[in-house]
Amino acid sequence: MADQHDMDSNGDSKIDGYGFERKEDFDEQSYEAFMSTYFMVLARRAARWRPLVVGKERVSKSRKLKRFCRKGIPGEHRPLVWMEVSGAGERMKEEPGLYRQLLTQKLDGTATESIMLDIHRTFPENIYFANTIDPSGLQKPLTNVLKAFALNNPHIGYCQGLNFVAGMMLLILRSEEKAFWLLDTVTRQLLPDYYASDMLAVKAEQELLGDVVRWKLPDLYAHLDQVGLHWSLVGMKWFICLYADVLPVETVLRIWDSLFFEGSKIVMRVALTLIAKKKTELMEAKDFTATVEILKKLESDPVVLNCHTFMESIFKETGSLPRAKLRKMRETCMRRVVADS
Amino acid sequence: MAGRGGAQRPNGATQGKICQFKLVLLGESAVGKSSLVLRFVKGQFHEYQESTIGAAFLTQTVCLDDTTVKFEIWDTAGQERYHSLAPMYYRGAQAAIVVYDITNQDTFGRAKTWVKELQRQASPNIVIALAGNKADLSNKRMVEYEEAQAYAEENSLLFMETSAKTAMNVNDIFLAIAKKLPKNEGGQSGQQRPPGLRLNNEQNQQSEGGCCK
Repeated sequence: MADQHDMDSNGDSKIDGYGFERKEDFDEQSYEAFMSTYFMVLARRAARWRPLVVGKERVSKSRKLKRFCRKGIPGEHRPLVWMEVSGAGERMKEEPGLYRQLLTQKLDGTATESIMLDIHRTFPENIYFANTIDPSGLQKPLTNVLKAFALNNPHIGYCQGLNFVAGMMLLILRSEEKAFWLLDTVTRQLLPDYYASDMLAVKAEQELLGDVVRWKLPDLYAHLDQVGLHWSLVGMKWFICLYADVLPVETVLRIWDSLFFEGSKIVMRVALTLIAKKKTELMEAKDFTATVEILKKLESDPVVLNCHTFMESIFKETGSLPRAKLRKMRETCMRRVVADS
Repeated sequence: MAGRGGAQRPNGATQGKICQFKLVLLGESAVGKSSLVLRFVKGQFHEYQESTIGAAFLTQTVCLDDTTVKFEIWDTAGQERYHSLAPMYYRGAQAAIVVYDITNQDTFGRAKTWVKELQRQASPNIVIALAGNKADLSNKRMVEYEEAQAYAEENSLLFMETSAKTAMNVNDIFLAIAKKLPKNEGGQSGQQRPPGLRLNNEQNQQSEGGCCK
């Protein structure tokens, strides 16, 4: 329970349990209120998880495990469970030498330069990334992971935003090889081709968000359309960063607990829930600026800080999103985006 | 921040005009676009500013004589692959700041490409400013002031060297843009807000010729 104790002892400090400096608008009261109940949840979940994971090297996917992931993976088991449910652990065992071998290869100049420009600009407010002298710092591992990923995925290379995703994975996994495999597996097997250099899939995903809102919240869709909101202005960072550097850290981790098990549908559920939570305010927003401001504030709203109830709501409040239907809708969006480009 | 307090509307008959402009920042990755905006909007500077993904939206208000100018700023991601998203942000923009880094010649070349694209594809009346940022690093200078100035003159761009770090010319470049933007009363110029983002509600749109309400 190292993480949870850290979080506790740092409850009133300037740095959170993951090494992030608290933001200037950090709402201590809401946080304390949330943590006082969340600790009980964490303790209860930890007890339920213990027989599933303690002393195990492998964890197999099951309905029970899916339910458990939705309720949150205890911090100390996250590295193991993420690697297992995503399939990254399996792939790492199949190709044990790949990561080391990639690190000996030379990456082209443009990709290297883009990566280097972003290394210092990844979580500069996190003590593990800010410190360039400390050998346990994460800047060098981050560089390695991004380079290896670019070499292994030449059609992607480096896409800005991967730095935050890989950075967050490193913070939790504390192993660059595991972070590489998780990043590689998540982008290849769990998500549409968000990071491809043509950006078509990620643009289509924003269109899909628009279409999903139109389906689930038609009156809100009509209003936002009238205000002139382009969907692509809303969700680009949400999708590219998988909410890392967007939502509170604990919430991001809880989203990832389910995302790595269930795939990209979770990303869409979260986006839809975020918008649905602010429906009343959004309906009252008279212009484009007011709308964007509401969506921006949402990212530090107590609604998302309380990750436990938020995660319950992404499954309850958005109703069913059948995979087959989403796939069809996504294909339509992709055709639209390709026709526009 | 200069002019911040001026945003409030007095109740009396002396109420000044309020103009709203959409401004977009473009330029190569890590030239300091977000830092310029952060300096302008919050008066802050971070040595390591996080990479911008997609784009960030911020607003800031400045006062010019009897006019309150509200900038709605889209700060975009610099990496080349995000380029295809840029039209979404500069479409309908009345102003753009194209930023380069004075210590990096390539970023100046990239800035010129942005200027060409804006001249070809953005609103015909868009006010374009060229900002040579990181002017505090003049010992590492690779782009001469005169070269950039000559280029700006040829292309009728506003031009300043700026430093988000020291705040040099940051407010000034936004103010210079504000001065150059048309602040005519509604319906005079016949200039239409281009399609794309509808910034105001119906009422405003109807009375809108330029930017003022």
